[in-house]
Amino acid sequence: MSKGYTGEIIRQHADGRQEGNYIAVHVDRVLVHDPALALLIKDFEKLGTPIWDPGRVLLTVDHFAPPSTVERANLVRQVLEFSKQAGLTHTQVYQGICHQLFVEGTGVVPGGLVVGSDSHTTTAGALGCLATGMASTDILYTLVTGNTWLCPPDAVRVNLSGKMPDSVMGKDIILYLLGRSGEGGYLGNALEFYDHSAHIGMDDRLAICNMVVEGGAKNGLFYPDEITAAYLKNRDGAVETGVWDTLSVPKYKKEETIDISFLEPQIALPHSPANGVPVKDAVGEKVNQVFIGSCTGGRFRDLEMAAQILKGRRVHDTVRLMASPASQKIYRQAIEKGYIQILVDAGAVILNPSCGPCGGIDKGILAAGDVCLSTSNRNFKGRLGDPAARTFLCSPLTAAAGAVQGVITDPRDFL
Amino acid sequence: MPLKNTITGRAWVLGDNVNTDDLHPPSFFSMDSKRMKEGIVAGMKNLNASEEEEIDTQGLIIVAGDNFGCGSSRETSVRALIASGVQGVIARSFARIFYRSLVNLALLPLVCRTIQAVVQPGDTLTLFPQEQKIRIGNDRFFDTDPMDLHFHRILESGGLIGYLRREMSVESKEHGRGI
Ligand code: SF4
Repeated sequence: MSKGYTGEIIRQHADGRQEGNYIAVHVDRVLVHDPALALLIKDFEKLGTPIWDPGRVLLTVDHFAPPSTVERANLVRQVLEFSKQAGLTHTQVYQGICHQLFVEGTGVVPGGLVVGSDSHTTTAGALGCLATGMASTDILYTLVTGNTWLCPPDAVRVNLSGKMPDSVMGKDIILYLLGRSGEGGYLGNALEFYDHSAHIGMDDRLAICNMVVEGGAKNGLFYPDEITAAYLKNRDGAVETGVWDTLSVPKYKKEETIDISFLEPQIALPHSPANGVPVKDAVGEKVNQVFIGSCTGGRFRDLEMAAQILKGRRVHDTVRLMASPASQKIYRQAIEKGYIQILVDAGAVILNPSCGPCGGIDKGILAAGDVCLSTSNRNFKGRLGDPAARTFLCSPLTAAAGAVQGVITDPRDFL
Repeated sequence: MPLKNTITGRAWVLGDNVNTDDLHPPSFFSMDSKRMKEGIVAGMKNLNASEEEEIDTQGLIIVAGDNFGCGSSRETSVRALIASGVQGVIARSFARIFYRSLVNLALLPLVCRTIQAVVQPGDTLTLFPQEQKIRIGNDRFFDTDPMDLHFHRILESGGLIGYLRREMSVESKEHGRGI
C-alpha cells in the first residue's frame, strides 16, 4: 500500500463494489457549476430520475456571471429552472467562484470525500479531504446515485519545512513544485502536503491544492492541523475531525521535501503552468494587462498582499489592472479593510466575483500581442483570448509589482 | 452493446501535454453542435495541424503523446470531438478527467506507447479494441495497454449513462423481488 491518507479516505467511503482497480465510493458533497450542469439538463430530462440528496449539492452560477451573450443567458435560466425543479437547496447565483463557495459553506471537512464538475475541485483538499474534479457526465452519475468510482491513487508526500519568506505565497510554492515536476509530473497521483511548522495560512493552502491538477494529480490535500481547526472553528463554530486524528502514519510511493525558507518568488512563463522560473529571471518583460483574481488568486490574503504593494502607488499608464474578489464574502471583507479603496485609488478596475478573465469567458479578453500577468492557474495558449497573446502566472505580490512598473518585477523591490 | 470490432480512420497526430483549451478553445463553449465543431477546427489550426481553409474532421483518429487532454474538465471538448466525427483517441498517457470523459461518452481511448514514433499524419489506422492492437496501413501492428474492467464495462454499456441505466434496472428488479 502506498496510497497515503487519500487511500484511507477512499477505504472509509467504499460501498463494497469493485470492478478492476476501481471501487465505488459514496460522496459527502457535490459541486456543480453553470456550464457543467447546462450540458446535463437534457440527459436528466431523459433519465427522469431525482437527485439523490439535494441538500448535499452546491450549485453555483459563476462562469456566466452575469451572462454576456443571449445563449449564456438562456443556459443560466435553464440551470436555475433545473435547480428549482430538482429541489436544490444550496444554489448560489453570482455570489462567487465555485471553489471558494465550496469551502466557505459547511460540509467540506477533513476526512471527507467530495467531487465537483471542475478540474480545480482539488482546491478543497486544503481542508484535509479528498477533493477531485470530474466532467459533467460523471457528475450526473453522482447526482443520481450519490456514488462515484475511484481508483486509489499512489500518494506522494510533500514536506514543507522552514519559514515562508514575506515575499513568497502559496502560489510560489506550487509554481516551484510544478516547475520541478513538469506538466503531468504527478499524473494520477495524490499529493499530500505536510506543513511542518504549521504556518502556511489557509488561503495559501487553497492556492496550492487548486493547482495540483496542473501537474496531473488526482487530488491534493493538506494534513489537517491547528490552521485547519481554526478555519473550521471560524466557519462552523465547531471542528469536525473526520478520520485524521485516529490514523496511523500512512505509506507513500514517494516523499519530497521543500525548504520554503529558501524559496524565491516564482513565475510561470507562457504557455504552461509548469514553466516556473524565479521571477528575477523574467524581469523587464513589458506587461499590458494584470489580473488579480480567480479560484487560485482572488482570496482575502491575495487582495491584502496586492494592496500592500499598491497602497499609495499608481498602476503604470500602459497597464490595465483588473481585480476580482473570489466571493462576495471576500469582497465585503476587503471593503471593510480598505483594500478595495486602495486598489481603486491605484487605478484598478474591480470586477464582480466570477470566473471572468481567468477562463477567457468575458471581461478582459486579450488581443493578439497582449502580455498578461495573472494570478490564475492556467496560461495555455488562447485560454485568455487570442492565441497570439502571452500570459505569465504569478502571485498577487508579483502581479501588483508588475502593475506598478509596467514590466515584470520582483516583488522584493517593494517589500 | 458490445465494443466495436474494428474502427478505421485517418491519423491526426499531436504532441505531448496537449490541453483541452488547445483542442477546443473555451470561447467555443456552446450547446450548438455547429459552434462546437468550429471549435475543433480552430483547435486544429491552433495546433498547426493544418493551415487549409477546409478541414475535414470526419473519420479522424487522434494519436497524441503524454498527458493528453490535461487542463479544463469542460466536457464540450469531448462532445465536440464526437460531433466532428472523430472515431478514436490514442495516447501514450491521458489526463484522468479527459480519459474518463472519453469513456463516459463512449469515444474509444487507447493507451499505446510505441505508435507515436512511426505514425505520420493522414496514415490509415485500424483499431482492434478487443485484441488490444492498432494497425497502420495493412501490416504494421502495435500493442495497446489493457483497459481497466470498470471502463470496459462502461464502454460496453455505450457510455456512463447506459451503465447507469443498467444499474438502475438491476436495482429495480432486485427491489421488485424483495417486495
Ligand atoms: S476561476 Fe478560472 S480556473 Fe477557477 S473555476 Fe473559474 S474558470 Fe475555472
